[in-house]
Amino acid sequence: MVNLIEMSNISKSFGGNLAVDRVSLELLPGSVHALMGENGAGKSTLMKILAGVHQPDRGSIRKDGLEIAFASPGEALESGISTVFQELSLLANLTIAENMFLGREPVTRFGTVDYRRMNAETRNALGELGLTLDPETLVSELSIAERQFVEIAHGIKADASIFILDEPTAALNAADVEVLNRHIRRLRDEGKAVVYISHRMDEIFAICDAVTVLKDGKLIGTRPLSEMTPASLIAMMVGRELQDLFPPREKAAGDEILSVENFRIDTASKAFSLHVSKGEIVALAGLEGQGQQKFLRALVGQFQPFGGTVTIKGKGLSLPVGQEGGIRQLQAAGVGFVPEDRKEEGLFLGLPVEHNIAIGLHARARELSVAKGHRNTVADVMASMNVKADGPSAIVGSLSGGNQQKVLLGRYLAADMDILLIEEPTRGVDIGAKSEIYGLLRDFANKGGAVLVLSRETIELIGLCDRIYVIHDNTVVSEMPAASATEHDILDAALSA
Amino acid sequence: MSRSIRRLMTGSQSRQGMWMLPLVLAVIICVFLAVRTEQFANPENLLNLVAQAMPLVITAIGQMFVVVVGGLDLSVGSLISFTTAILALDGPGYVLIPAVFILAALVGATNGFVVTRLNVHPIIATLAMQYIILGITRILRPVSGGTVPDVVIWAVSETFLGVPMPVYWGLFVILVAWKLLHGSRFGLHLFAIGGGIASGVQDAARNFGVADKRTVVLAYVCSSCFAALAGVFLAGRIVSGDPNVGLLFELDAITAVAIGGTQLSGGIGSLQGTVIGAAVLALLSNGMNLTNVSPFIQTAIKGSLLLLVVGLQSRKKMGL
Amino acid sequence: MAAALNNAVVQRVTRIPPAYFVFAILMIILWIARPHMLNANILGIFIRQVAPLGVLVLGQLLVMRVKSIDLSGGGVILLVNYFISSGLFPGASVAFFVALALATGTLIGLFNGVMVAKRRVSAVIVTLAVSIILVGFVQFLSSGKPPGDVPSVFNDIYNTKLGPVPTPVIFWVFLTAIMALFLSKTVFGRYVTSVGENAEAAHFAGVPVERTVILAHMIAGFIAAIAALVQTASIAVGSVRVGLDLPILAVAATILGGVVFGRGEGGVWGPFFGVLSFALLFVVMTTFGIDEPGKLIAQGLIILLAAIFYGVRTARSN
Repeated sequence: MVNLIEMSNISKSFGGNLAVDRVSLELLPGSVHALMGENGAGKSTLMKILAGVHQPDRGSIRKDGLEIAFASPGEALESGISTVFQELSLLANLTIAENMFLGREPVTRFGTVDYRRMNAETRNALGELGLTLDPETLVSELSIAERQFVEIAHGIKADASIFILDEPTAALNAADVEVLNRHIRRLRDEGKAVVYISHRMDEIFAICDAVTVLKDGKLIGTRPLSEMTPASLIAMMVGRELQDLFPPREKAAGDEILSVENFRIDTASKAFSLHVSKGEIVALAGLEGQGQQKFLRALVGQFQPFGGTVTIKGKGLSLPVGQEGGIRQLQAAGVGFVPEDRKEEGLFLGLPVEHNIAIGLHARARELSVAKGHRNTVADVMASMNVKADGPSAIVGSLSGGNQQKVLLGRYLAADMDILLIEEPTRGVDIGAKSEIYGLLRDFANKGGAVLVLSRETIELIGLCDRIYVIHDNTVVSEMPAASATEHDILDAALSA
Repeated sequence: MSRSIRRLMTGSQSRQGMWMLPLVLAVIICVFLAVRTEQFANPENLLNLVAQAMPLVITAIGQMFVVVVGGLDLSVGSLISFTTAILALDGPGYVLIPAVFILAALVGATNGFVVTRLNVHPIIATLAMQYIILGITRILRPVSGGTVPDVVIWAVSETFLGVPMPVYWGLFVILVAWKLLHGSRFGLHLFAIGGGIASGVQDAARNFGVADKRTVVLAYVCSSCFAALAGVFLAGRIVSGDPNVGLLFELDAITAVAIGGTQLSGGIGSLQGTVIGAAVLALLSNGMNLTNVSPFIQTAIKGSLLLLVVGLQSRKKMGL
Repeated sequence: MAAALNNAVVQRVTRIPPAYFVFAILMIILWIARPHMLNANILGIFIRQVAPLGVLVLGQLLVMRVKSIDLSGGGVILLVNYFISSGLFPGASVAFFVALALATGTLIGLFNGVMVAKRRVSAVIVTLAVSIILVGFVQFLSSGKPPGDVPSVFNDIYNTKLGPVPTPVIFWVFLTAIMALFLSKTVFGRYVTSVGENAEAAHFAGVPVERTVILAHMIAGFIAAIAALVQTASIAVGSVRVGLDLPILAVAATILGGVVFGRGEGGVWGPFFGVLSFALLFVVMTTFGIDEPGKLIAQGLIILLAAIFYGVRTARSN
């Protein structure tokens, strides 16, 4: 059979980081191809290259045997490559129909946009997915799941031969996933090629024919799924035995340091309580966007919860926490918040390592006081965390993802926090640095610190943490010890709630 | 207030913005002026009002193209003066009038190119352009003077089929702008690009296959060409070239656009809102003239109004 | 070509603020075309002329470092000039006028800062509108005519010299040094750098972003008032037009001096040489018979070219 798409030896780097390193991928007509790997393994970058968003630095792409190169997503779409991206990329100020047809709107005889046709075709497309939304609704009025569906409808409606679905199910419940799977099978039967990216093992085994695994931007291998088991696939993704990756757990937790009672994320959500003790690493697990992040961010004033009581080290925290002053207020109470988006919210990429670390210490000083150098502290942190950089004056943007993440964590360790609230501790970090970061967090806990962490990587949460709270629909639905938990347990707890 | 009325007034859940509120405001001002002053309601003043408002209406509509894609064009005031200076050069109308629009399109294309390809903040690019054009205008015509081609004067001050020319200008401009903004793929793409920028995803529209850079360049070209059209109209009214006639026009245009409910962060706005916004501003000016408010205080009041309407639109990010 | 651009030396050279090159080039032009002008006395007079601009630039660079801008300086200068020259406060002492000016400037800066940081209004629009309001207000109070005379003390101080150097120039250098120390040695300086590099990250690192921006604007307003005092002392009369072009010149000099919009980088001495470049530029242009309009074009071109220079550099490094 002729390969529909043949990507060979594709490389792409951003700044100094090699995001994709000589990866090859072949797509067959009438097949669903899973693309697996941890966060930051290069899956999304590889697919964005195929979709024309990025241009490869090296390597070639062939379609039906002919070499192709896309300067823009528009060109990729024209040659039959349609994408449902991971980020919600719909435009909130346009209607569903306008989003569906954006870039290829039909026009009337008078050159105006043919809304009648757009709305009718959109209604049909939505109907096929079992949705009864009005095509003239603005996307800003849709729920996240509805937006995801519109995105899917947009992607699979296009008259294309190759479909890229980048985590289309992250915000969907089980019934919705089944609707989607039905459509993926239909596309496969029509002889299209589908690339499917997901973190959920059971979906992969349910609908995919073959799997390609990436790690740290490199190709690990491509296998027919019939030869694989979930365990062997995870081993392939992680690249080493899981138990070696995570530090051993310590036995006893100390006194309670953070307790949350009767917390309600919004008016409609059920109240929940949770607590974290000294020496403990506690996870917030569950499907994406179920309220884990809202809860964590509510603690530092980045989201307004409906109500509840929060006690830190025996002192009450009055809710809601201020949006502007929340981070500082919590830092003063010994709570550090490590945001998920290292590049946008975490680091000053254009500034030296020393500034990035010392700013956490400066933030506690008065504006008009003399800024201390904090040379020793910075040097200690860099040494103890094994940050690989040309000294403290190296620009952070030039470091590898793993070292950047260490610098970010280092800021909060240097500032001597008692509690760390961490979103995605190892996003876009290579396996060696991951292991080191897990070790650092465990050390922090062993010295009496407490960590509350959320991550999309359930495996990471199971391996790293002591206890897991499963969150679904903006509330805690289950609590379990991490040592005996499995991915399946967590998904089960989330979906049966 | 019922929910649907509030929706209409605040423009929430609509891409058109809150254009009904300024409409109510305009009506209130009209009623107030009609009651308080004798001159306001007489036909001569009303016609005068239309003619007075026209350059602002035209410039504001042009400005809106750029505002919808999340930019601002500060060069339009200078461009208006520049246009009058060109028209007052000693030359035939059939040369000067096309020349004005070609030059304007060049200015707009340069603005757009600098913003989209050379990665310069729109405010900085157009602020610099404002000074460059102002300088050139002052070289061409250091003080006001000269005469513009007869056809320009005719097109502004005569009547056709018993209807004064400014009315035709208004209809023409609104028709063209409606077609571009609300009746074409180009217009939809402007809103799409602006929506992406407003939500912080710079190239959201490009991922859909929209030729975003070209579209943004065209938005700047539109802004400049509408400003040139306003300049032609003004030149017809003052019958000469004046290097200062467009002074601060860009700010009035931005005020009018913002009053009309167009969001300066991009993606939300409507033509009717902009026209109403310009009308509100023109009515205020007219009213202040009729009630003998000092021109200096008028400037201060307009500045306060700009501060007020822009201050009422809160953005997510701080900055220029 | 691409290889050359990635060369370390070339990269380092593109990091040097354009002001230094421009200054050197203008010096050479002047040295070739008008060598007799290159003596301390004449240059002192030229440099003294730009002292108000030089002072104003110190505030401008501060707000531009936190990704804002302040175009209200023109209004502040006019208002302060009006206070002093209108006879509104007959027999008031110099100290009173200085205190009044500084308080006014700081208050206007506070307003700008709150609008920009809390209301998140476009900084260009806010400060431009504030300037227009102040100008309209002053022109209304003085009915559009120059108000009156400035107490002679101001001009007397302005005309003093310390050795061969005019006092206003020394004052300007002194303020610049203070600002340099302030930014490099205080915690506030670290906050400014952080907010300028990435406001979002600064917020999550615990930097009080809004307060930093407000404070930057207040200091800029305070400095604008100082510039207004120097400017008023230099012209020695009341005016309804004085200083209106200074804010945009300050922006141009600051950009030329390496403070980049939206990047937060740059120092204090780059803009200092940016101002000196303008001093020389005006001399050179005057000697070549280029007048007012040519200067406007030069201002615009300098802003545009410097912004393009940084824009392209940023795009390449991404």
